Amino acid sequence: MEAPPVTMMPVTGGTINMMEYLLQGSVLDHSLESLIHRLRGLCDNMEPETFLDHEMVFLLKGQQASPFVLRGRRSMDRTGAPWHLRYLGQPEMGDKNRHALVRNCVDIATSENLTDFLMEMGFRMDHEFVAKGHLFRKGIMKIMVYKIFRILVPGNTDSIEALSLSYLVELSVVAPAGQDMVSDDMRNFAEQLKPLVHLEKIDPKRLM
Amino acid sequence: MGVTCVSQMPVAEGKSVQQTVELLTRKLEMLGAEKQGTFCVDCETYHTAASTLGSQGQAGKLMYVMHNSEYPLSCFALFENGPCLIADTNFDVLMVKLKGFFQSAKASKIETRGTRYQYCDFLVKVGTVTMGPSARGISVEVEYGPCVVASDCWSLLLEFLQNFLGSHTPGAPTVFGNRHDAVYGPADTMVQYMELFNKIRKQQQVPVAGIR
Repeated sequence: MEAPPVTMMPVTGGTINMMEYLLQGSVLDHSLESLIHRLRGLCDNMEPETFLDHEMVFLLKGQQASPFVLRGRRSMDRTGAPWHLRYLGQPEMGDKNRHALVRNCVDIATSENLTDFLMEMGFRMDHEFVAKGHLFRKGIMKIMVYKIFRILVPGNTDSIEALSLSYLVELSVVAPAGQDMVSDDMRNFAEQLKPLVHLEKIDPKRLM
Repeated sequence: MGVTCVSQMPVAEGKSVQQTVELLTRKLEMLGAEKQGTFCVDCETYHTAASTLGSQGQAGKLMYVMHNSEYPLSCFALFENGPCLIADTNFDVLMVKLKGFFQSAKASKIETRGTRYQYCDFLVKVGTVTMGPSARGISVEVEYGPCVVASDCWSLLLEFLQNFLGSHTPGAPTVFGNRHDAVYGPADTMVQYMELFNKIRKQQQVPVAGIR
């Protein structure tokens, strides 16, 4: 007997299933300033927040066809911040009317020996990158505008090179399962960013 | 947290686990220690599923996932002689997602529960170690709050332990090891509990008459 999909089950075994709702788009470097300016106006009033993060993606290969993916992220500019371990499930297929990409997500704050521990568990690092950019918030919505950098020498975050001449823009919300009205709010907010950036639901499988 | 020593108190001759715990707690109360609530440390064992082993060519490792009521929002995951990860409680949710790769040995869930006593700068926790319905032993944890460097206060801790445990005083915990000047942390306490639980698991079960 199959368990009902995670989106319909707010609570499983005593813990709340959290879902990540995501919309993505991009802007060329020269349009960054105008986008930041508009976001500063639309979003919650706070000191402009920038971030510099190093993310590593780990895979655990088993007999199953698809390996288990975990993402470990650490802040390079905030000392003392915990490392962030994230699991993202497969995107929930279903309602074509749903405006955002929805997937199960588990976020865990960990100590600094995360890499050693994952290796001990049997995970192997698949790839890594550096993300540098700006962070905005509007209520429960998080808007990130950042540039991805390729790491030239594995493990050395000092020698990095930009992957493209653009910035990735992500609008995301992490909310308990079953709250589909969240994607409506996201779409309304995305409308306000047009025509500077077009945020849409991008299915990662179609890119591969 | 301050430097902590976790040890096992053998069950007294001709007495049950519960009676020995009562003997210890009465001794503490006579010393003047103040009861301050309860504590619980539990440990679940996971092993790498057979399906993952083939591709790695290594013997299955045991991973312990532990919780300590002293740190209610944290979860400790460790390998014997390996790293100890400190994470938040969502780690348990992640272990559910990893069901296909790591199997929980349900029968080996072990925990210790008991009372916390504060005696000046010492925090003493005496607990009954249980596996399922049966009591398997007694754990004694003593923490000296003000100091975080093992080599600076081990002799003081030892003196207190001798006063309280008498001939059952343990030697210096292996976590103190060679790094005498390293700062002591909660992960070190969890490693001590893991070693204690493993020792108790291997011991003969306490005779039936003793459990009551």
